[in-house]
This record gives sequence, structure tokens and C-alpha cells, in this order.
Amino acid sequence: MKIQYFYFILTLVFISSCNKDNPILKEDEDINLGGETTINTSFIKIFQQPAPNLSATELDFHRKADIAFGDIFVTSPSTINPGLGPIFNQNSCESCHVSNGKSPFPLNPDDLRGLLMRVSLPGNDAIGEPNILPGFGRQLQTKAVFGKAPEGKMSWQEIEMVKNYLDGTSITLRQLKFNIENPYISLPPNIHFSARIAPAIIGLGLLEAIDENDILSFADPDDKNQDGISARPNYGWDYKAQKKTLGRFGWKAAQPNLLQQTAAAYNNDMGITSPYFSQESSYGQTQFDGNTDDPEISEETLKAATFYSQSLAVPKRRNWNDPTVKRGKILFSELNCSSCHRPKYITGQHPEFSFLSNQTIFPYTDLLLHDMGNELSDNRPDFDASGNEWRTPPLWGVGLTKTVGGHTNFLHDGRARSLEEAIMWHGGEAEKSKEDYRKLPKSDREAVVKFLESL
Amino acid sequence: MKILSFLSFAFIIILLFSSCKKENVTPIEDHKDILFDLSHNIILKTYENLYNETEQLRIAADKLKVNQNQENLELARQAWRNARDPWEQSEGFLFGPVDQKGIDPSIDSWPVNQTDLDAVLKSPNTLTKEYIDGLDGTLKGFHTIEYLLFGENSSKSITEFTQRQFEYLSACTESLHGATESLYFSWDEDHQNFINYVINAGQTGNTIYPSQKSALEELVNGMVVIADEVANGKINEPYSQLNINLEESRFSRNSKKDFADNIRSIKNIYTGSYLGVDGNGISEIIKSKSSTLDLRAITEINEAILAIENIPGTFTEAIFNSKPEIENAQLKVRKLQQTLEAEILPIISNL
Repeated sequence: MKIQYFYFILTLVFISSCNKDNPILKEDEDINLGGETTINTSFIKIFQQPAPNLSATELDFHRKADIAFGDIFVTSPSTINPGLGPIFNQNSCESCHVSNGKSPFPLNPDDLRGLLMRVSLPGNDAIGEPNILPGFGRQLQTKAVFGKAPEGKMSWQEIEMVKNYLDGTSITLRQLKFNIENPYISLPPNIHFSARIAPAIIGLGLLEAIDENDILSFADPDDKNQDGISARPNYGWDYKAQKKTLGRFGWKAAQPNLLQQTAAAYNNDMGITSPYFSQESSYGQTQFDGNTDDPEISEETLKAATFYSQSLAVPKRRNWNDPTVKRGKILFSELNCSSCHRPKYITGQHPEFSFLSNQTIFPYTDLLLHDMGNELSDNRPDFDASGNEWRTPPLWGVGLTKTVGGHTNFLHDGRARSLEEAIMWHGGEAEKSKEDYRKLPKSDREAVVKFLESL
Repeated sequence: MKILSFLSFAFIIILLFSSCKKENVTPIEDHKDILFDLSHNIILKTYENLYNETEQLRIAADKLKVNQNQENLELARQAWRNARDPWEQSEGFLFGPVDQKGIDPSIDSWPVNQTDLDAVLKSPNTLTKEYIDGLDGTLKGFHTIEYLLFGENSSKSITEFTQRQFEYLSACTESLHGATESLYFSWDEDHQNFINYVINAGQTGNTIYPSQKSALEELVNGMVVIADEVANGKINEPYSQLNINLEESRFSRNSKKDFADNIRSIKNIYTGSYLGVDGNGISEIIKSKSSTLDLRAITEINEAILAIENIPGTFTEAIFNSKPEIENAQLKVRKLQQTLEAEILPIISNL
């Protein structure tokens, strides 16, 4: 009897956890994607609006922060904005995060916009970070100030792959094979590299405010619920706290917080040192400038640029009441997309800014790692993430990519040329969802895309 | 029975009638005329002028390279000012291809990378348009040309130029003209036709603007952003920090003109008038809701322009010598920003 009772309870637990794993929202529940930070409008500059719930002081700070985010750096010495490089990818935050949206995939290797390449040697260092590539550091800087050499040039081959739907129609996916050309010194064999594209920066403060326990409650590293999906946390390194910490940001969730993410971007992308990372990215390399001008930006500037990314508004859903969109939303859940693109959270207490706290938000991400299959793999582990694993990217604002950026390029390296292609790239743990999508009639597939476009 | 069926019949008729009436009471307003006029008469026309004036600048820089005299230098400087005018008057609508195609950094990057510019000038590299095109924005565009033409203290004489500087100016103005061509052609109907998105906002298949309201919001938001930038960025940064290096068009002493032209950009979009051509602007909508607000907005625009122009001397001098006038200009621009943001934008958002 007691054992039967136990099994009964166990069954109940399983049923309830199944429900938890595949949450179904009421159709209008998620229209305010960013809680009280949501704005109800739609135009090109939509990702550049301040959250409407900022206090007057916060709004003032946001506007000052906007200036910092737009600052263009130049070669030292300069009376204004000095410190660029000596090696870098772009000269301002906005060069990659154009209109704060996702960067388009570049038209040619001479104008990379928001595309860059992480580099490393196999294996990890003492803190778990991929081993530095001697002479190159952690990132391939594709530009340099005059007189210095770019570390190399990114190149790629585009290979078209046809995938068939069950209804007999097909779709062509663009595979990208990246390489490094003209390295300034010779590259060792067997290096790891990974192309990454700049994401949209809306809603980041809200993601930072999600309670760590909420994120971990969805972790299922050993797939105990046997749904074929193992959600794994990545523990990156918090350089300030000097300890491994749950990662939330970046394509592999290696960055624990936005201050560090911002400082790392200044350092690696622009060659700008801050109190957080006060050593040049070129330190120890032959092109190190040897200047004693570090840090090149103040704590105040670093915090301002960080605040800018924390205090942007999230756009409201559009066309949520359209019958096709509603159908797509149901399918999104039925296809089990929502077990990883987890819709709903109530944020906890943000350590600094109350406008981010206790917000009911719908980012459509679990911030956890998932094996996405060999075809999406970059074969480059990053802290606890394997080559095949990627963090579920948030989907809020995804339907405005075309509006804001004038393109529809998706995934970590921008290979997908439409939302439909992005779906069809899903593999690994998402293979079943992708297969189920592949089997849908055209009208249903379009409905799923319409739903995504409403986000 | 008869009474009942009559009553229900009457009820249905009333229902039908009232629902018809309701539709007639709130027709959807069509603002296509405004969107058409603003995108044709203001946006495209401004970009066309920019394209033509940068061509004149290119010609002037070429002439200067061939005949290196003070007169040609002055002509080139005037050509720079003439080209700067439509650019600053375009900053109230900095949306679309200018960002999406990455054109802005090639036109208006600031500050100038003086260290690298000196190094390029000292190098043996051949200075062609293609070479300049490949450089970062801080080595080309308006401010690099300005720095070379006017010098650090706006007092550079023809004898201070090197041959390499003349060559750089020639290639750099050609590169700038190329960038303005990309911008103009991106909007132009005969080329990439971005203008179509604005004119046909709200039509099926418009992937940028799902409604006319959204396109109008874009335009008003653009006005708010530039008012904010003039008051709290362009004027405030050098003024509050007493730092002339933070002044954007310091070399040419054109800053006040820049600021006033930025506000004229607001005026053009608001009134629908530019260079003597009158069309429909945002004013048409505001007027229909509140003629008082409309008049006040126009007054505030004019007062902001006047206050900027009334700052004595150059802006560089004024930072130190003309506190009340600078603060008055800031106040007027902020007042305009407040009206645009708190009163005009909500009207558009509630259309």
C-alpha cells in the first residue's frame, strides 16, 4: 500500500513537472513582453527607447549613458576618447549594436559590422576559460590602428544545403565555413575558433534580474524527466568576485553579469581598458602599445554604458490577436519549443535598479545550455558549455529584426536568412521539435513563423 | 406574438443601424499625404541636396589640389559649409538606410583620429577614394575634411598645407560624395526605394511600418532625439565641462550653424516645408487636434533657432564668455523637446 501510494505521488510529480516543462500561456498573457518596461509601438528606432518605468533620475542617467554608448574611440594620444586598439574589432558600441538590434551577417569580409571570431587553444585554463591562443588572445581583432597589423582577416565559404519538408516542398539553408586569412603571425595547428554575431540588447537588465534559483529550477543536466532535453547551466568566471558564477549572457552563457560583459566588450572589441579589465587585449603580444594610460575609461563610463543596456524598453507584441498568430502560438507550445524558449518569469530583486525588480516578463528563454546538434556546433567548448551547446537565445523583439536592422539574419553567426531557416537549423535536443515542425503542413509552419514575428 | 416578433425585428434593425453608425463616426484617418510630402519634399530632397553639395565639395577640393591658393581654399571651405547644411538638416530623421547600411560612420564620425591621420599622411600609401573608403570612419567624412581644411584653430593658411593633405582632401571628399550617393540612392524610388516603406506605411506587405501611425511615430521620435542631442549632448557636453575638445564642429566654427540646422530639421518635418516648397507636415495632424498646441510648437521651434543664433561670437568663445545666452538656448531647445515628447508624440501614438 505504502509503495503504491509512493508511486501515485511520483506520477503526480511527473505530471506536474511535465506541465511545468511545457507551459501554456493564455493568449493575451504575454503581450507586455517586458512587464512595466514595455512600450506599445513599432518603428525602426524602437530598440533605442528608454524603459517607460524609469524614474526621472534614472531617465537622466539613461540619456547620459546613451552618449557613452555612442562614443567613438580614436588612437592615443587624443584630447578626446583616446585609447582605441592598438588592435580592435570596432571603434564604438554602436558599430556592432546598430540601432541596438541584432547585427546583419556581413556582405563581405572587409565590412564585418557586428561579426567577430573567438579564438583559443584546446583545453581550459585554471578558471575554466578556454586556453588563450598565444599571440592572439581570446578574440581575432580584425582591425588595428595605423602602423599595427590586424591579427587576421575572417573569411567564409557559403554552402547551400537543401532540407525537405514532409509536404514535398523544401528549404535551402546556408552553411558557413569560416577561416582565418593573413594572420599577422603564423597560427598553430588545431586552434579552436567560433564566429559570433552581435545580438540585440533589449531586455538585458530584466534577464539579469531573474532569480538564479528560477533558472536552475529548469536545469535538467541528466535529463531525469526523459524528455530528450538536458538543460545545463554554464558557470563562467566572475572576475570581480573571483569565482565560478552562473552565466547568463553571450551565445554560450559564459558571462555572469552585464558589467563584466560590457567591460569585456570594451576590452576585446575596442581595445579599451577599464577598471574592470585594466590590461590591454594585446598585452604580452608583439603589438602591445606599452602605454601607461590604463584604464582608458573610468568606472563611471563603464557603468553608464552598462546601464544603457539595462534600461532599454522592450516592445509590446504586435498582432497577437490575429487568428494565425494565435494558432502559431499554440503550435509553438505543442512542438515543445517552449521547454527551452521558456516564456514566463517574475523577476527577483535586481541588485541595483528597482525598475527591473518584480516584473512579469516573457523573454522566451531558459538562459540554459542545450546540445543543438553537430551542424550548429562550433566545436569550441567555453567554460562548461560543449561545442554543441548553445544558450537558448531570448525571442522578445525577434519579430522586429527586419524593422530595426533591415535584415532577417539569425543564430550565433548569422547564418540563417529567415526565421524559418533558423528553426530548420535546430538539431540535437531540438531535433524532435524540428522534425515535428518539418512534418507540419505549410499553413501551420507559416503560423509558427507569424507567431515569432509577433514577438 | 406579433408584438414580440415586431420588437425583436426592431431590435435587430436598431442593432444594425447603431453598428453602422458607429463605423461612420470613427473613420480611420488617412495620413498618406503627410507621409508622401515629408518623404519626398523633406527627406529625399535633403538627401538629394547633400548628394549635390558633396559633389560641389569634391570639385572644390580637386580645384584646390590643382591650384593651391587661398582663394580656392576659401571656396573649398564654403563648399564644406554648404554640404554640412543639408547633413545637419537631415539629423532629425536619422533612421533607415543611414544606420542599417552602416553609412553614417563614413559621413559623420566624430572625433577625428588625428594620430592616425598624421600617420597616414606621413606614410607612402597612395591616397585614392578606394583607399579612403577602406579606412575607419574617424579618418574620413565631414570632420576629417573639416580638420584638414580649417586646421586645429580655424586659422590654417594655404602655406601650412602639405601636398599629401591636398591629395587626402581630394580623395576624402570623393569618398564622402560616394557615401552620400549610397544614402540618397537607398531612399530614391529609382534605386533601392526605401521611401516606399514610409509612403506606403500600413499597407499589406510593408515589413517596416505596419501602420501609418508607426511611420509617423518614427518621424516624431526622430525630432525628439535630435532636440535631446542638441540640448543635452552637443551644447551641454562642451559647455558643462568647459572643454572645447567636446565641441563637434569646432575647427570650422560652424557649431552654432550645426545646432540651428538640427532644429531646422525639426521645423522641416513639423511644418512640411523645405526650401520654399510647402507640403503637409506633422503640423496638419496636431492642428486638427489643438490649434493652440500647433501654434505653440511652431513658436518654440522658431525661438529655439533664434536662441542658438543669438549666442554671441563662436560657440568656442561662448562656452567661456556667454553663459546666459548658452543656457537660454539650452532652455529653449529643452522646452521644444518637452513639447514634442510629452504633448505631440502622445497625440501621434493615440491616432
